[in-house]
Amino acid sequence: MKYLRLFLCLVALALTACMSHLFVDTTTRLQLENKTDVTILGLDVVSEDGSSVRPWIRDTIEPGEKSRVFEEDWVGTFRVRVRFDKWNAGALVSIAKACGTYSRPNRVYNTLAKQGEPNVIEKNISGCGSEENVHMVYTETDLEFEGGSQYLVVSQDSTGNVAFKFK
Amino acid sequence: MKTGLNKILLLLALATGVAFADPIPAEALTQGGLPMRDRQLRDIGLVLRGGRGGFIDIGYTYTPSSEQLQLKSQYGVHNGYAFRHHYGVFGSWVLDPVSHFGFLTWFDRTGWDSQDFFFFPHYGDFAHISSALTWGFSYTNSKYDATVALGLQHQNLEKAGWRAYPHESDSLLFYWAHARFKNVSFQGSFYRNTFQTLRISLELESRELYGGAGNGITTYLPNLSATIYRRKTGDDDDNFIRLNWEQNLYKQILYADVSYDFPDDGFRSAALKYYPDPSRMIGFEASCLRRHERSGAKDLLWGGAIDLLFLRFAYNSAFDYENMFHAKGTFIVEFKFNIGSTPDGKFFGRGAPKAAPMETTQSQFDMKKFMKNRTEQNMGTPTYDAQGNKILHAKGIRYEKEGAGTTSNEGGY
Repeated sequence: MKYLRLFLCLVALALTACMSHLFVDTTTRLQLENKTDVTILGLDVVSEDGSSVRPWIRDTIEPGEKSRVFEEDWVGTFRVRVRFDKWNAGALVSIAKACGTYSRPNRVYNTLAKQGEPNVIEKNISGCGSEENVHMVYTETDLEFEGGSQYLVVSQDSTGNVAFKFK
Repeated sequence: MKTGLNKILLLLALATGVAFADPIPAEALTQGGLPMRDRQLRDIGLVLRGGRGGFIDIGYTYTPSSEQLQLKSQYGVHNGYAFRHHYGVFGSWVLDPVSHFGFLTWFDRTGWDSQDFFFFPHYGDFAHISSALTWGFSYTNSKYDATVALGLQHQNLEKAGWRAYPHESDSLLFYWAHARFKNVSFQGSFYRNTFQTLRISLELESRELYGGAGNGITTYLPNLSATIYRRKTGDDDDNFIRLNWEQNLYKQILYADVSYDFPDDGFRSAALKYYPDPSRMIGFEASCLRRHERSGAKDLLWGGAIDLLFLRFAYNSAFDYENMFHAKGTFIVEFKFNIGSTPDGKFFGRGAPKAAPMETTQSQFDMKKFMKNRTEQNMGTPTYDAQGNKILHAKGIRYEKEGAGTTSNEGGY
């Protein structure tokens, strides 16, 4: 009986829906630290098919530096892309797009990640008529954001791959 | 020991309910308009089976965890809350002994937001909130046992977050009409000059609530309805017909409810429903729904629901899959209440064949008896002293105004 009353009180409390605003975050305030030896050009959230890109961290972060804090409505699990100006280690996949035969970078990334192979991709598209010329060095991964203040460290592991760690 | 085990089982059930929930797809949100409007019209059809008395329905779904019904957008999986708030009211007035004039309004506000709320949404970047309001007037003639009703249906998009949803038309206005003669009814809803749904219903089952038999062979006749839905695939019309068959299996407390789509899709859903009383205030159901996502038996979604007048628990139920954006894999709690009343003051649940059994007691208020009881209670049992005189105990202190009995002006200030 004692527990029933407690339970009902909790239900009533939780039902005053606005209460959840006190302990549920609807935004993530993200700060990025660059522990690699190259410059990070930014962090974006990309759609699964790669067709839609939403910039999140819009700073250029030098090695050893931190970005500013950017607050966005991303709470959950999303595909994140971090762009670099170059990648020094040997662990690098190159996609040079020859017009007509185009391998989708996502696919390449997915299969490579499973094998524990390099996860940094260099994409080169040039001279493809109507399409824009692209030179981009980036890595993609699914990250879970719990909301609130989050501090993401991007570093290079012993195999030369990019490693992500929330601190 | 036993309660301890029960508690563990309950926690386990809750944990699995939350942990294995599947996110709802963004497309289901943008396509939620038709199911919402159709459910309202089906409800209205049930209420207009009588067309007299009144009906009220109110409900609020409650999913306590933000990881319970996440949103699956093209970017990934977002934490938040799917919700469905709804109400429906029907009331009628007696114009003359055979004519009843009624007004009805049904409202649903459904969607997904990153915060839960009662009235004021958070409007997050990925929120999708839309509403449908159906209202109209009805006229029922009890001599011919016929009802006609017509009205409007508004569908509004309150908020659709950037980039997550395709463009939709806002502020759509539909109109609808309903006509019933005895147990046959027609219903249609239209947008401009094209129909959206057309429905014919044959309620063959004999229902005591509407003057039919309370038991016997006629209560085992089926309730059938066929609905033509307008559907577009690309530029082509791809209309389909949904057949619903409700069948009394045992004494109007056990029912089967089957729906089937013509011409292509085939079996849609089946439910076995048990109502401890034919008035349908409380119900239990097991349901099975075909999702058209996989092949074979894996495509079937099995679930159930318990409806306890003020509270409804459901897990994977066919109703929630269709009305809560394909929600599955989690427990959904709804705080709800619905009840209908007949002109002679009997009550029943939605779609019930019989009214709830009620005891009527004749009570007349007797002032004298009431006062006597009250005085005796206040006085308690009188006590007597040694000489046999009654002793009165004074309770409280009462100050009397000087010169009481005269008017205050003469009180001598």
